[in-house]
Amino acid sequence: MRRLWITPLKTGAALLLTLLAAGPVWAQDSSSSDATPPWYRPRHLVLQTGSGLGMLSAGAGYSFLRDRVETDVQVGFVPDRLAGSTLTIPSLKVLYTPYRVPLGTKLELRPLTVGIYLSYTSGIINDDRGQYTKGYYWFSADTRVGPLLGGRLSYLRPAGPTGRQRRLSAFYELGSNDLYLSGYFSNDNFRSLSPLDIMTLGLGIKAEF
Amino acid sequence: MFSSTSFLWRRLGLAAVAVALLGGCELLEFSPSDFRGPEEHTNLTQKNLDRLAAQPLAPTDTLRFVFTGDSQRFYDHAEGLVESVNQQRGISLLVVAGDISDFGLAREMRWVDERFSKLNVPYLTVVGNHDHVGNGRAAYQEIFGPLNYSFVYGDTKFIFVDTNSREYNFNGRVPDVPWLQTQLSDLQGARRQVVICHVPPQDGDFDPALDQAYTRTIAEAPQLAFHLNGHRHSFSIGEPFDDGMTYINSSAVDTDSYAVLTVWNDAANRPQFRLKRIFF
Repeated sequence: MRRLWITPLKTGAALLLTLLAAGPVWAQDSSSSDATPPWYRPRHLVLQTGSGLGMLSAGAGYSFLRDRVETDVQVGFVPDRLAGSTLTIPSLKVLYTPYRVPLGTKLELRPLTVGIYLSYTSGIINDDRGQYTKGYYWFSADTRVGPLLGGRLSYLRPAGPTGRQRRLSAFYELGSNDLYLSGYFSNDNFRSLSPLDIMTLGLGIKAEF
Repeated sequence: MFSSTSFLWRRLGLAAVAVALLGGCELLEFSPSDFRGPEEHTNLTQKNLDRLAAQPLAPTDTLRFVFTGDSQRFYDHAEGLVESVNQQRGISLLVVAGDISDFGLAREMRWVDERFSKLNVPYLTVVGNHDHVGNGRAAYQEIFGPLNYSFVYGDTKFIFVDTNSREYNFNGRVPDVPWLQTQLSDLQGARRQVVICHVPPQDGDFDPALDQAYTRTIAEAPQLAFHLNGHRHSFSIGEPFDDGMTYINSSAVDTDSYAVLTVWNDAANRPQFRLKRIFF
């Protein structure tokens, strides 16, 4: 089972490195005429596993309110041997990180991040291909929404041409989804299931550039 | 750039180690449809059949088993059911008439197994329509096993058949009537037969192109004691097709009730049964 991790991690690392390498070039292009980055330039890149968003999920995002609020757009995938079909999972996250704790000059801890994600899974075998009458199942088989709670540790890099703080962060996030929460809170199941039963874990890295 | 790259590699290496340590942990879930989980929650049909084979029934004995269905999202009720069934005497197994899960998710199936595995007897399941939702079919096959299967225990041949036609968009091949005919035509040394499915043939979720072939096959089966199904959640027993064949619908797990079925053959070697409903 562990062997399964290696290839996607390598691929993901290569992808992120390529993007990181491209980042400064991109920034340099704009700084030659103006230090302010174009409005559409993402603030960060993200690569993660878990949280129900993919075996590997990569994306980019923007931040607001001095990096306290972030929106990440990611695309993940799951190979068919682990889920019955190959899944592609676009997702959107909105995260709020209120506190920063400096740990020396190079490190920074953000102990709490709360957020919400919305995901759509493409490639599901039985979602709705016309065989169900309207409302046959009250839930969607492919659209998930869920809460996230986590933290991150950042390595502070020298500010780039844009003058914004650059960080390389490792993060974890605990989460759940609407179906697991429905399982937990209906039919007195909270007496029987443990909160751990409905919890998911995500691990990832985020690079601000 | 070089130093930050090597730092990145070190960080990625650490992340890979962390991930590897957590590799066996279902917390790190790639999708709710990701069915990876502990080995103890896989291949459960075969494991329960092995348990059953390890406690053989004397060939002349009558057989008594518990019949329930639709355990979907009723985990607290399932605990009560297990507690009650464990107080019954002379029970050999428990059968679940499908809809183990509600959303077709592997975790739900494992939650049900965590409860039913506390039964004093083995339990066997047939796939229900909710177990097919999303990528549930793959999860069911990983965690439980085949969608159509049969086995002989004592003098009874049990046949579990997937009748969830709507989940295959009524493709004309589910239920697999030729497979059912083959199973029913060969008693394999048993003296009676039992068929268990989820969606009954009179239901709108059963392929209308196959219901006549199916009910005829059931009615013409040589030694069939009765036909068992779930899906409708409330208990019923009757001969809906006026063909002499008894169809029994299980009560769902949330009704805090189940049926105890006792089967034997009379002097003319015809299958007989007695049904007792238990409320807890």
